[in-house]
Amino acid sequence: MDTFASLYEGFAVALTWQNLLLALLGCFLGTMMGALPGLGPANGVAILIPLAFTFGLSAIAALILLTSVYYGAMYGGRISSILLNIPGDEPAMMTCLDGYPMAQAGRAGEALALSGVASFVGAFFATWGLVFLAPLLVQIALLFGPGEYFVLYTLAFATLGGIAATNQAKSAFAAALGIGIAMIGVDTQTGVQRFTFGEVHLYDGIDFLIAIVGLFALSEVFVFLEHRGSREQGKDEAKMKIGRVTPSLSVLRYCTPAMIRSTVLGFISGVLPGAGASLGSFLAYSVEKQVSDPRSETFGKGDPRGVAAPEAGNNAASGGALVPMLALGVPGSGTTAVLLAVLLTLNIQPGPLLFQNNPDVVWGLIAALFIGNFMLLALNIPMVGLFTRVLLVPTHILMPIVAMIAFIGIYSITGSTFELTMMVLFGALGWILRKLDVPLVPIILGILLGNEMEVNLRRAMTISNGEWTTLFDSWLAIILWTIAIVGFVLPIFLGKRVKRKMKEAEEEGPLSD
Amino acid sequence: MMSDRVLGGVGLALAVFYAWAATIIPEPFSSDAIGPDGFPMIIALVLGLSSVYFVLKPDPEPQWPSLNRLAEIGFALLVMFGYAQVLPVLGFVFATIIITAYLTWRLGARPLTAILNGVGTSVGLFVLFELIFGLSLADGPLGF
Amino acid sequence: MIKTTLAGGAIAAALAVTAPFAASAQEFTPDQPECIAPAAAGGGWDFTCRQVARIMRETDLIDGSMRVQNLSGGGGGVAYAEVVNKRNDENDLIVAASTATATRLAQGAYPGNTMDQVRWLGTIGADYGVIGVRPDSEIEDLPGLMSALEEDPRSISIGGGSASGGWDHLKVLIAAQEAGIEDLRAIKYVAFAGGGEAISQLLAGSLQAYSGDLSEAMGFVESGDLRVLAVLAPERLEGDFSEFPTAAEQGLDVVGANWRGFYGPGEMSDEAYDWWVGQLDTMYASEEWKAVMEQNGLADLDLHGDEFNEFVAESVSDIEEISREIGLVQ
Repeated sequence: MDTFASLYEGFAVALTWQNLLLALLGCFLGTMMGALPGLGPANGVAILIPLAFTFGLSAIAALILLTSVYYGAMYGGRISSILLNIPGDEPAMMTCLDGYPMAQAGRAGEALALSGVASFVGAFFATWGLVFLAPLLVQIALLFGPGEYFVLYTLAFATLGGIAATNQAKSAFAAALGIGIAMIGVDTQTGVQRFTFGEVHLYDGIDFLIAIVGLFALSEVFVFLEHRGSREQGKDEAKMKIGRVTPSLSVLRYCTPAMIRSTVLGFISGVLPGAGASLGSFLAYSVEKQVSDPRSETFGKGDPRGVAAPEAGNNAASGGALVPMLALGVPGSGTTAVLLAVLLTLNIQPGPLLFQNNPDVVWGLIAALFIGNFMLLALNIPMVGLFTRVLLVPTHILMPIVAMIAFIGIYSITGSTFELTMMVLFGALGWILRKLDVPLVPIILGILLGNEMEVNLRRAMTISNGEWTTLFDSWLAIILWTIAIVGFVLPIFLGKRVKRKMKEAEEEGPLSD
Repeated sequence: MMSDRVLGGVGLALAVFYAWAATIIPEPFSSDAIGPDGFPMIIALVLGLSSVYFVLKPDPEPQWPSLNRLAEIGFALLVMFGYAQVLPVLGFVFATIIITAYLTWRLGARPLTAILNGVGTSVGLFVLFELIFGLSLADGPLGF
Repeated sequence: MIKTTLAGGAIAAALAVTAPFAASAQEFTPDQPECIAPAAAGGGWDFTCRQVARIMRETDLIDGSMRVQNLSGGGGGVAYAEVVNKRNDENDLIVAASTATATRLAQGAYPGNTMDQVRWLGTIGADYGVIGVRPDSEIEDLPGLMSALEEDPRSISIGGGSASGGWDHLKVLIAAQEAGIEDLRAIKYVAFAGGGEAISQLLAGSLQAYSGDLSEAMGFVESGDLRVLAVLAPERLEGDFSEFPTAAEQGLDVVGANWRGFYGPGEMSDEAYDWWVGQLDTMYASEEWKAVMEQNGLADLDLHGDEFNEFVAESVSDIEEISREIGLVQ
């Protein structure tokens, strides 16, 4: 078969000792970059571009190095999510929700190993998707006009309620806060300033990295300061065990359906430009929760499926994001935007003709993805034991280091003290909101997707000359609306039932906690 | 109970402020059907409505830390703000030693451990970011 | 009467008089050369800095390596203000710039800053503007698009990769103005995050026309997904690109070049200024740089030192005039 022959050629190009070493180096550096809060995959790749040139690498070799960094960062983000409750990068945000509770329950090693496997499954099948479906998927991406994109983002926000089951109003509040922050800066559709109050630093808006690092990493420092010296905290830490470092077969089997569903969902989100890995992991988690645990009994409390789903989702999405990047030259995420720049430097023009003009590069790249993926699995599973050593470091040593990594990560990519000040403010805000039980995930989601949601609505309105019906005039839009409405209504309905059940249970006798 | 009501009040004020700030967005050269202020108005509305909900149906009161714990957090906050300001002046290495040592100390380490952690973190991160990743961190008077 | 050829004269002059800059014996060498990329890592300016730093190191134009410092914010305004206010007399510093810098200076988007507060060093190439449609579009040429826009502006949405009022938008407005369209505000411009995104929405059928740069459009032209109505260059380009008609030969005298280059601090010493200009000039002429230009789809635009200073001054005042005329700035 033609595809397999091409793939074979690709492997022939990619499988040299030098390339394998580069892939190993890339995987390792990428995992580190991903695990450090403040440096995401996009920055990781951008930062390491000069390294590729310093070595004087060929196009294929440079691509292998940098895609390994890309996949490595996607793997790495989960490590700090699980161990520290601080997402290493934005797609790893959802992994905190069940990963950290697992770690607290003494299952850190298992969570890390399981998420490693889930990452592998997601990325592996997404790469196969890239091999077979790329031309077809481009057609799907082209079905999405501005109106359909708007409905897609609406869908993401509509399903938020299913995640934070405690108080829907607080989820809505947090999402509105995030979207509100996203509005700051130049309005691209008209070129006017919004909410900047003449402050030049705000013209480009607030980088979501600043928000995520402030809200998660710095607020964590404040939480520890708050509890320092209190006996309970000390006990908790002493109890924090690593547990087994490989997932048992039964857990893997238990999580397999979650991984499969999430891979498909993540891959599709990745293929749509602009949505990317964050939406992939988010949708994977929220759908998995509704499918496996509609009554919120185990999710959020350390359910392994809540770890497997977002990790499979975000790694599948990062594979999917390569489809529009290669076939249309449209980056689906910040990271693929940087990879696109790399391709251009290497004299490779992504776009409809890439598969014809540079088959060696495309298939070499795909082979590199497979190699990187296996290498990451091989690297990650044995290293679980090493990663978990982090938990043995006393908090008073570890937390300041994490805080400083956050500061440096932000400073080194923005070079601005204004951004650092913003980050500290987000840290304080994060601590207060955590106290008040306002979920942080919707804030980040709002900052990440708010602009796209608004801009696509306005594009659609401009194109239709202000006709609202444009938001409903394709079958795709109607399907998306239906899912959004179901996703919004179902948790409310189920939530009521759960509350009633809990009440009944309370009347029968006190809940054992 | 009270805390959520305060949150609702603050949220409501924020929503009003946000809506006001949306009204003073300058008139663009050519506007689309929604305009630069349409979507922010919807957001202000959601923000306001959810805040009203907190006032009417507040959650149980969270456990706030004692006053001296609050002061501890407040002081750490000030140190972090200070760090952001002095970073370009003192340079990365020295500023980082000071803040890391402070945080380590306040999180319960002995002073010597704190200083060692400060120096180790600062130098280690300098090597990692500036020398290995090739990023530029803030230069002090001595060049690092 | 307003001049609608955006610095077209300056470009033509530069192409005609390619005065080789004599790299005469100079005393100055920087101790710690530094390039500020006024955006976060990964953007276009970041790329300009890192590419030039790489080529300069490879061709031994600088000893050791040039540090690349990212300083993001305000669409380059934060870096501009930093250089003017705090680092005004440094000799080792250059900052990446492009047409976007000139556009923002012209539209007053860097509050309190003007173009004469820094010293403009030189260009490293340019990317010419392109206006295109889907291959099956009924619109045949640029005047055809303009008359369609005049008849019923509601029926045509034009997409581009810059914000409203930015470079891709301005190119359309300038052409429309040249074509004598009265109501420029009625023209529907839809802003996207990048040219590629705009083109894919053109393919998806959401848009009727596209305004962007040649380099980003190339792949789609070759694959037959995009038909070029006009290249906004002073004359036909070389090689494969020679088949595209210019706007001028269709009777619309519009030139739009998105240049990339550098400026230095305003109080930079003359020796340092000459040194940087000389190094950029030597680099521009090198084989290595030619390869980078080809890879990135950059066309020839070789302006250094005073020539470049005049070029920027002229393009800032042109953009300012047009933006005011159109109503983008008061």
